[in-house]
Amino acid sequence: MSPPSLCAAACSTPLRAAPPPLLRFRRPASSSVSVSAARAAAPSVSDDLVLRIAEQLEDSAASSPLLDPLRSASALSLLSTPWPTRRSNEAFRFTDISYLRSLPISLPTQTPGLAPPPSPDAESHIIFSDGLLVSASGAHVAALADMPPGVARDRAAAALAASAQFSHRDIFYDFNAVGASDVAVVYVPEGAKMAGDPVHIMFGYSGSDGASMMMSNPRVLVIAEKGAEVAIVEEHFGTGEGDGGCYWANPVVDIIVEEGARVVHSYVQRQSSAAAHTKWTTVQQNTSSTYEFVEVSTGGRLNRHNLHIQQLGPETVTELSTFHLTSQNKQIHDLHSRLILDHPRGYSRQLHKLIACGSGNGIFDGNIQVNRYAQQTDAGQQTKCLLLSPKAVVNVKPNLQIIADDVKCTHGAAISGDLDPNELFYFQARGVDVKTATDALLFSFGAQVINRILFKPVEQKALAQLKELLTLSRQSN
Amino acid sequence: MAPPFAAAAVSSHPSLFSPSTSRPAIRRHLPPSSISVRPRRCPPAASAAAAEPAGKLLLEVHGLTASVKETGQQILKGVDLTIREGEVHAIMGKNGSGKSTLTKVLVGHPHYEVTGGTIMFKGENLIDMEPEERSLAGLFMSFQAPIEIPGVSNYDFLLMALNARREKDGLPALGPLEFYSVVSQKVEALKMEPKILDRNVNEGFSGGERKRNEILQLSVVGADLALLDEIDSGLDVDALEDVAHAVNGLLTPQNSVLMITHYQRLLDLIKPSYVHIMESGKIVKTGDSSLASHINEGGFKSIASFV
Ligand SMILES: Nc1ncnc2c1ncn2[C@@H]1O[C@H](COP(=O)(O)OP(=O)(O)O)[C@@H](O)[C@H]1O
Ligand SMILES: [Mg+2]
Repeated sequence: MSPPSLCAAACSTPLRAAPPPLLRFRRPASSSVSVSAARAAAPSVSDDLVLRIAEQLEDSAASSPLLDPLRSASALSLLSTPWPTRRSNEAFRFTDISYLRSLPISLPTQTPGLAPPPSPDAESHIIFSDGLLVSASGAHVAALADMPPGVARDRAAAALAASAQFSHRDIFYDFNAVGASDVAVVYVPEGAKMAGDPVHIMFGYSGSDGASMMMSNPRVLVIAEKGAEVAIVEEHFGTGEGDGGCYWANPVVDIIVEEGARVVHSYVQRQSSAAAHTKWTTVQQNTSSTYEFVEVSTGGRLNRHNLHIQQLGPETVTELSTFHLTSQNKQIHDLHSRLILDHPRGYSRQLHKLIACGSGNGIFDGNIQVNRYAQQTDAGQQTKCLLLSPKAVVNVKPNLQIIADDVKCTHGAAISGDLDPNELFYFQARGVDVKTATDALLFSFGAQVINRILFKPVEQKALAQLKELLTLSRQSN
Repeated sequence: MAPPFAAAAVSSHPSLFSPSTSRPAIRRHLPPSSISVRPRRCPPAASAAAAEPAGKLLLEVHGLTASVKETGQQILKGVDLTIREGEVHAIMGKNGSGKSTLTKVLVGHPHYEVTGGTIMFKGENLIDMEPEERSLAGLFMSFQAPIEIPGVSNYDFLLMALNARREKDGLPALGPLEFYSVVSQKVEALKMEPKILDRNVNEGFSGGERKRNEILQLSVVGADLALLDEIDSGLDVDALEDVAHAVNGLLTPQNSVLMITHYQRLLDLIKPSYVHIMESGKIVKTGDSSLASHINEGGFKSIASFV
């Protein structure tokens, strides 16, 4: 490989060992030449893409002392991380992310678009527009940049610095760290209870002209201190013309649940049909804490969610309910979840449901690690997939790695191409025809997860949208 | 022909099946012992055919044979059964004799294949009809073991069932709010918890709750002929009375019931005009309610000597 591009160097040198204090991605002016030469020479071309994006992101984000440690670590990590492919990276074995490379990346300008922010359904709210934090108001909600010195700011800074050590990161996590211009912080002090009054976080994306894919990197940090209770509701949606435009949303939400605290988390992803959505949710759960998560993902051409939960102390409760619907052709929906249990008496329940229509592709990799000290863990995992067309594909990989010997773990994966004929017959026996019964059963398949969203307006919106998508997909079949 | 129950129920009397309606169903106001259409005087079916028919023919089954679709195993081996309007029938028989299969075949359960014979219901050939068409035609079966439908609330399920019927009768669909007053009366009449409506169909229901829920469905959609498969199993005495009361409330001179039961106590509450004994996929004996008492005293073996 002749051209001395940074990329090639990065690939062959394990740079992690001796990082320069602040990395820059600047390449020689002749880089465009070297890119095309490298492209001809293959495989390192993908790394060049990583660098190109990282460079763009770095140029766009203003320096922030609280974010810099994380940015540097991620920048460093990006230097040595190749663009993941199905062949080279086990975590992307079934997930074709080539859509992300179909257009060059553009970045939003620092002044967010003129589109009026959607009106939030809750008193406390955070609004992102193309990844830029435009509003954070209400109890315990602030933009990192605006936080006054004090406990909350110190805690947020420490958490962000600790994220620099996150060992399960991938390029998307790192892109976000490098590209996030600010962080929305939800800091719930010790003992404060606000689970009944959720923080509504709206992520609107507008997309660009069509010649490029607008990339945004919104970032949220949630800290629930000892005994605190908080509910957060994330909504991701397109705000552009028609269906919402072409863009790449790359959000990260980090959540810390301290001892005895409870976080109720709902997440609705209904991006535009041309959008790419790569999402990270990381959760750290301390002793006797509770984390309840409900996800409804229906949008995007490519959707990847990495959900990572690390137990930091015994007796945690973790409940995960997710529903993915691929209703348009070639749509990809991927959930990679990982729950790492290192302490005794954890309780966890996971339910993942998936409907794949048309030539949709659903992927689920559900990893639960019950490590040596996680005795008396009670872990359960269930996957239910419905393939509604012969061209739909699902790849399901539930995997429980159990090292502790005194545990109760159950798991089940059901993939079927049809609804339960006994259920259909029950409807028929009461006079309801198969078509109507099918609609009702499909709807209820998703509603079972959606109904777990405790915030009514968002639950109702998600149900209405599910109904609409199912109708549309039936009409097109 | 009288309009199907459900149509009448929602168009004129929202509470038709509750015992307080003004429908001319005299029997309902009489003590339970006089509930059956032609109590006791009714001759055994053999001679009933010869006697002048009091009600119109509702169901006529001739030489019905049916097998399990998957295995081809024959279960029904030539069933003959005639039910007229206003009659109450009971089928008894050992476990495995084919009673449930008969009711399921009548409503078109996809597990079974009809291999011979005829089924006429209100003058129409039932075998050619889809299960939902049979239901809309006025045939109702309560499942012996009703399944759960996770994710579908009882309320929505009942409303869909009722609206399917209303659509067939050319009536506008009822909205969820309008339906509430209709259904809450039925729930009350069955002494069920109103909360049962919010729960998913049969999900986490006890055996008794499931049986009542079947009868709730019957009371909402109505039927010309209700096939009740062991609605008494799993019910305590009080619950059985509630259910029997609801079923009796359904009976009019135009409606009929076919019960499957092992127990006299149900037959004491809903008096049958005919009792049939089923054995190895056939109805081997038909008599009046004294046949049931006889079996309860001496078991099925004794019927061979019963005259
Ligand atoms: N779907 C089926 N598959 C296999 N065997 C069946 C099926 N349905 C019924 N059977 C068999 O047919 C016989 C009659 O069953 P059933 O009608 O349930 O009897 P009953 O209700 O009188 O107890 C039994 O031997 C039963 O095992
Ligand atoms: Mg039976």
